[in-house]
Amino acid sequence: MWAIETRGLKKVYRSLIGGTPVVAVAELNLQVPYGCVFGFLGPNGAGKTTTIQILIGNVYPTAGQAWVLGYKAGALAAKRRLGFLPEKFQFHEFLTAEEFLKLHGRLAGMDGKTLAKRIDEVLELVGLQERRKSRIREFSKGMQQRIGLAQAILHDPDLVILDEPTSALDPLGRRRVREVIEYLKQQGKTVFLNSHLLSEVERSCDMVAILNKGRVVKQGTLEALLVHKSVVVLELRQVVPSVLEALERVATKVQPLDTNRVMAEVADERAIPELARAVVYAGGELMGMQAKRETLEDLFIQLVEGEAK
Amino acid sequence: MGAVAAIMTLTLKEAMRRRAFLGTLIILVVLYGLSFLPKAFHEAFGGSERRFELGIQLMTSFGIDSIKFFASVLAIVLSAGTITGEIERGYLAAILPRPLHRWQVYLGKWLGVMVFCAVNVVLWSAMLWLSVYLQGRSRPEIWHALPYVLLYPVLYGTLALMFSSFAGTSVALMFTVALGAFAYFADHFLRPLVVFIDAAILQRIVWLSEWVLPMATLKRFVMAEVRLPFTGRIEDAPFASEAVRFFLNPPTRAWELGYVALYILVALLIGGIIFQRRDVQ
Ligand SMILES: Nc1ncnc2c1ncn2[C@@H]1O[C@H](COP(=O)(O)OP(=O)(O)OP(=O)(O)O)[C@@H](O)[C@H]1O
Ligand SMILES: [Mg+2]
Repeated sequence: MWAIETRGLKKVYRSLIGGTPVVAVAELNLQVPYGCVFGFLGPNGAGKTTTIQILIGNVYPTAGQAWVLGYKAGALAAKRRLGFLPEKFQFHEFLTAEEFLKLHGRLAGMDGKTLAKRIDEVLELVGLQERRKSRIREFSKGMQQRIGLAQAILHDPDLVILDEPTSALDPLGRRRVREVIEYLKQQGKTVFLNSHLLSEVERSCDMVAILNKGRVVKQGTLEALLVHKSVVVLELRQVVPSVLEALERVATKVQPLDTNRVMAEVADERAIPELARAVVYAGGELMGMQAKRETLEDLFIQLVEGEAK
Repeated sequence: MGAVAAIMTLTLKEAMRRRAFLGTLIILVVLYGLSFLPKAFHEAFGGSERRFELGIQLMTSFGIDSIKFFASVLAIVLSAGTITGEIERGYLAAILPRPLHRWQVYLGKWLGVMVFCAVNVVLWSAMLWLSVYLQGRSRPEIWHALPYVLLYPVLYGTLALMFSSFAGTSVALMFTVALGAFAYFADHFLRPLVVFIDAAILQRIVWLSEWVLPMATLKRFVMAEVRLPFTGRIEDAPFASEAVRFFLNPPTRAWELGYVALYILVALLIGGIIFQRRDVQ
């Protein structure tokens, strides 16, 4: 059983008056386990928002199926246990923060007492307790996004879907979102989020799927996707051929960067000390060494650019 | 039913926020001021009691006409931007993921607009009645006509809401106003033409317009309650044939109200179904 599952999901946008149809989601197969923080990544226009809109039942797929918490996407039973923060969030700006949360609590079927208590909690969590009586109209963009996050977790949902939750936030706000995600994870909730801030994703997600042109091109745990290789930049007093030769025996790839820097790639992090030893035995003078684990960003760019070629 | 009530309350709040009630207030004051004209004229220039009575009568029917008109405008303005307009503004994307059916949102919006308009119509009618009453006359027909007057905003609001389910605010507004204008034109210009040109096609167009939008039907029901004591209207056409006279002044028939109700119900259903089936993004 998955918290989210899609099979052959497809969405084609057609305009009424001619025009070429846009394939937003092509053939999407996705499996999100329960209790996981799942990063949904992809370049602009990859189809992330469209997929999310299908999952919450706002948009109907052209083909394929989607299940959320074991129910068909859009089913009332699924929506009861789901929280959502839209990408283009725009809330009823004439309501105060408190009235807005009350409305959503009521729509989520919460009773008055639980709701009042919960409103305090979520306002505290997103750091807006002092602005609870202000109208949303008077909120800055980032504050609106925060109240949106508060709305998404208000009814203690089992699955929280966040479409770019930090797009309008300052670094402090982003850290707070990370903390909220961490808190949700500790409570065993599933978080499905979409973000372009890959360093953020790397810090908070357990699993990711990378989407391109409406298809998943890579899916898995962060460890599984990123362990493969490590890149090390060695700093020498001078790069000489003997050192390069020695390095080549250890590394899978060696590339001089300039007169005193060499980049070496090893298949396994455990081989990094070998590189230092090789330099020293070959008579090189090692001044510094910096290991660069492959980041999510490297993987992302490689996958997306690779597709483009 | 909780979701419907919550959406209805939200719609009412929004109507208040949009200062719809300010326009309402102005209409109220103007209506109130105008309706004292007969008394003012009577006191200034004298004149017979019958003339004063006629003045009151005129003001009453003019007042009811204004209420009909402004209530329709209010309903159209409040409804036209509802579904597509709110989708475009991004409001609905956050509401629909809540555990509710789309028809509940639709019904809640409809009820919100209707309640707001109804409260206004009742207020305006009360004001009209009061000002006539303060001039020493009682016009209970204002209350007798009220149920039919109330149907105007229901009819127009439902239509505008239906158009809003697939068209943006200005297009929905245009469609509704165009339909209203067609019905008005048919009833007020084409119908009297029959006195001069007794053509079957003309009569058919007018009847058709009434099926398309039963506004003239409602007008007749209101008129049946508030008759003007005028003579010499073109509609009375003493020289015309029996058939033409019937066409000019059709009687009100109960089944016509049934048609109006059916019309409103079908428009409500069509809009709801379109909303149910469309993407919200
Ligand atoms: N309502 C719509 N009508 C027509 N085309 C649409 C519509 N919504 C999205 N698209 C198209 O579908 C594709 C995917 O859009 P989507 O918003 O899902 O991308 P995304 O991955 O969320 O991108 P971003 O990172 O920029 O938010 C794009 O090519 C977009 O132009
Ligand atoms: Mg997007």
